[in-house]
Amino acid sequence: MLNSIKPKGKTIFLYLLVPVAMFVFTVFVPLITALVYSFFEWKGGPQKTFTGLQNYATLFADKTFWEAFGHNIYLVIACIIGQIGIAFILVIMVNSKLVKLKGMHRTFGFFPSTISAVCIGLIWNMIYHNQYGIINWFLKTIGRPDLCKVWLNETDKVMLLVSIPLIWQFIGYYMVIMLSAISSIDGEVFESAEIDGANGMQKAWYITLPLIKNTMLVCITLCIAGNMKAFDNIFVMTKGGPGTASMVMAMYGYQISFNQSNMGYGSCISVGIFVLSLLVIGGSQGLIKYFTREKEA
Amino acid sequence: MIEIRNPPKLNLKEVLVMKKKLLGLLLSTAMVASVLAGCGSSGETPAAETPAETPAAEAPAAPAETPAAETPAAEAPEAATGDVTYAGELEIMHYSTSEESEGNGGSDGFRTVLGLWDEAHPDITLTQNVLANAEYKTQIATLAAADDLPDVFLLQGMNTIDWANQGLVYDLTNDIKSSPYYADYNQAYFAPFTVGDSIYGYPALTGGTCTVVIYDKAMWKDAGFDSFPTTWADVEKASEYFNGQGITTVAFGNGGKWQANSDFLSTLGNRYTGPDWFMSLVAKGGAAFTDAEFVSALAETQRLFTQTEIFNEDFNVVTNEDAREYYISGDAAAFIGGNWDESYIWATLQETDQDKWNNMGFAVLPQPADATKAPNSQNIGLGYAVAINAKLANEPEKLAAAIDLAEYITGPEFASYVAENYALGGLTKVADVDLSAFDQITQDFYNWSYVNTETCEIYDSYITNAVWDVLNTDLQTMMNGDMTPEDVAANAQKAYESNY
Repeated sequence: MLNSIKPKGKTIFLYLLVPVAMFVFTVFVPLITALVYSFFEWKGGPQKTFTGLQNYATLFADKTFWEAFGHNIYLVIACIIGQIGIAFILVIMVNSKLVKLKGMHRTFGFFPSTISAVCIGLIWNMIYHNQYGIINWFLKTIGRPDLCKVWLNETDKVMLLVSIPLIWQFIGYYMVIMLSAISSIDGEVFESAEIDGANGMQKAWYITLPLIKNTMLVCITLCIAGNMKAFDNIFVMTKGGPGTASMVMAMYGYQISFNQSNMGYGSCISVGIFVLSLLVIGGSQGLIKYFTREKEA
Repeated sequence: MIEIRNPPKLNLKEVLVMKKKLLGLLLSTAMVASVLAGCGSSGETPAAETPAETPAAEAPAAPAETPAAETPAAEAPEAATGDVTYAGELEIMHYSTSEESEGNGGSDGFRTVLGLWDEAHPDITLTQNVLANAEYKTQIATLAAADDLPDVFLLQGMNTIDWANQGLVYDLTNDIKSSPYYADYNQAYFAPFTVGDSIYGYPALTGGTCTVVIYDKAMWKDAGFDSFPTTWADVEKASEYFNGQGITTVAFGNGGKWQANSDFLSTLGNRYTGPDWFMSLVAKGGAAFTDAEFVSALAETQRLFTQTEIFNEDFNVVTNEDAREYYISGDAAAFIGGNWDESYIWATLQETDQDKWNNMGFAVLPQPADATKAPNSQNIGLGYAVAINAKLANEPEKLAAAIDLAEYITGPEFASYVAENYALGGLTKVADVDLSAFDQITQDFYNWSYVNTETCEIYDSYITNAVWDVLNTDLQTMMNGDMTPEDVAANAQKAYESNY
């Protein structure tokens, strides 16, 4: 029975060939060439000098790179709490019976995800703007001009300020993923819980969350992966500044490769980002699995 | 309202069930792809990325738009040096976009003269790849890294040594010396494009200052100054008056990180070190960023930006484009920027505010109290040169055509066009520029730029961007008060020693 509808191996192979070839060409080839280049001193142009692990030695001692890595981790944590946490709360609220116009909430919630990161950066630049920005306008209106600041020039706050637009942008994205997961939960489960007297919080915590656990894992992985390669919003808003106060790894790689024409070291940074991202993603999945297993036992 | 509300409601269930399956598939692909792409896209594979990005849309538009009417067409073939026997394709990459050329004389002249050359050579198919300046810099660096430069392109001064040593750029020394316009060339402009005794490009576009103080004469008169102060101490005094009025004394934008270097330090540094120090740095003649004079210049920069209230407090966040709007709107009494800002302010005010336009005045950077050199100096030069891909050496006919093109677009045709239409100067000197046809502001700026001030070098036209990028990033931190001038100098010196 199965064989009659299952295509031949050759057919499957041919269908897969094109996308796999494209994938290999656009992802694996660059990755491997980057790995090769990372062993060379290559300041652009045809001349490359093999320097072995020299670039990696530099990378290990490069304070700016590790500072940027720290900023990426900050972004990951802020966004897991901000994006996925807020998205979960909003999803529970949208799914509640009390909420009217659910379709509208979903649509508008998803809106920011459809705007390009460059536009988001520019919009938030206006919001944070020292003279014309809405935050400082608000502070002046309520009579607290002393609190007005050049927001994006605050070295110790700038990472928080650039993560807010990122969080705002992607809440809707995770909302859609979670909504689709929740819709697959059988309604009877909630009904019987309600009969047992469970309130909204209890339903969310004891029923919804465990039943969409796998989707949440995907969300967290996506969130980590997305934030380890964060670039565009921050590039538009601060270019990593003031100084290196909002520098992230991808931007540092870009700066070394293109502003400083140091392609060899830039490739080395890319490899570093790849390895660190894998470690962080793998580590976080291990941690989540460990904790969830303990609960079940 | 209704349209948005209804459709999702109608088929929500089916959609979501379908979505879930689809999402599962999509997500797993997206996840893997995005994890890997994070590494793939951050800068290491120029060859694969660039061709796709090339904005082909710009290129075909360029020749069609060329305003050939402006200059008599008959002149064009005459001015070209002839001897061009090549027939076929010739590729040029530059950054004089049509938008840019609207307010910028150099860009307009470049596009116009390039169009004339194209018309005069019907056998040659000239392909123009035009990008905005910021994208141009990234793209040309990528192409250079991939050893895939276009036939003719614009070479930035600070890339000259690197690219010449890599054998990417054709050595034009003999061609320049035998150029029919050689006698009229402003020799000083070749310096950033010279390595040893070899010259690698024809300096292009117009010579413009990178540091000019543009001020509103009426506002400064109200503050008690007949002209812009010549010392920072007086500017500080004026700032007390302006701050009382809620007006920024001097607007400046360093959000892009390069402005503090190009539009400020390059001139201020010269006031402390004098020109010999910088030329020694360029020639590796013993000068160092850590020399006391340069550190003093950094310290003064830090003092001005952190301890006085002269500048807009968001100077480290806004770009020069934002900062000049403060001046245009009257929120600032003066602005420091480059010639490109001057042309924008000039054009904008002429349209929107004739009075303010009439009050435009120009000044050099004030002199710091402890600086001893060149109080009347400003940094001016040609930042880019028309250069030719070294590979053209294998095709003598094509090379001759490329050289002819380079000579023509930097030659008298270009120089007269920008002199007559914009009162600007380029590589080739034009005798007796008649300024009387221009308005007073344009005449003032011409005289300020080319006649009444001393010149000094633009730092980042020389050395290498690997050094300037480090310095620019640290400068931004320093101007927030988070780094000492000594540390900034030490980092720059380290980058200089390992990259130059």
